[in-house]
Amino acid sequence: MLKIRIISEYYMRSFIINLIIYIVIIGGVVVGFPRALSWYLGTPYPMAAITSGSMWPVLKEGSLVFIKSVDKSEIKVGDIIVYRNDKGFTIHRVAELRENDLTTKGDANFQKDAPVKYENIIGRTFTVFNRPVVIPYLGMITVMANNK
Amino acid sequence: MKNFINNLIERIKGFSFSQWWEKMTGEPLKTWEKVAGVVLLVVFLLVFYITLDANKFKATVRVIEGESVIGLNPTTERLDFGDLSRGTSAVRRVEVKNDIPLSTYVVMVKTGEISSLIDISKNFFRLKPREETKIEYSVYMPASAEIDKIYDGRVYLFKIPLPARK
Repeated sequence: MLKIRIISEYYMRSFIINLIIYIVIIGGVVVGFPRALSWYLGTPYPMAAITSGSMWPVLKEGSLVFIKSVDKSEIKVGDIIVYRNDKGFTIHRVAELRENDLTTKGDANFQKDAPVKYENIIGRTFTVFNRPVVIPYLGMITVMANNK
Repeated sequence: MKNFINNLIERIKGFSFSQWWEKMTGEPLKTWEKVAGVVLLVVFLLVFYITLDANKFKATVRVIEGESVIGLNPTTERLDFGDLSRGTSAVRRVEVKNDIPLSTYVVMVKTGEISSLIDISKNFFRLKPREETKIEYSVYMPASAEIDKIYDGRVYLFKIPLPARK
């Protein structure tokens, strides 16, 4: 009887220790990963979901992109930038650069957007070999939430 | 040949899965294993039926140069949106009828390069027994579409039978 109790206590303790380890690992990934990404990319918004087809075919609806902070002097025509506006956030390509603002245009759109002030720019898409790093389908939840 | 067939029929008649399992593994099937096996078989048959019953449409569109130019290809076998210039759109309609006496849940899945261009008027909806509905598939050609390129893909229409609602 005592042997059974010792074994069950041993298994219970081992189970609790394992559970704590798993919670620490999952918590670290869930909380730590975005923070680490935010620190590395230098922006409070390190990831963005593509919620429309305006940048098709470079950025497809439902994909997830990484955003890197960018200085005004680093922005070039052709860069894909993220900026804040009345509707929320927009991810479009820079079409024109001016002293106080810039103009963007979605690749799939026919018309340019309204001018964007530099202070509203959050960042530029994180690129590797001049191509934005995209994770397909990972932004689908945001797209569904937007459509609801 | 006749003997062989008779022999085969006798073997099939005398076949017992439980006995075969016991012979293979050395242990008889447990109750939960039997239940899990039946559940898995039912799920497999359901998925098999839904997949087999699905309508598959080949979808295609060609991008042409010019402004407001549309060339339609009136075929009923596939979702052919014809030739479209940038900024134009085409619509094709498909009638869906629920022939079975149970409600069905309709789910459509788009695949291929055309999938980002196709907009489906309604998806993920319930069809009552004997109910009929029209689904519109529209394609809008964006400014970034490549001239002379053919975008194609497939649209799968799955009809999932649902239990009767009171």
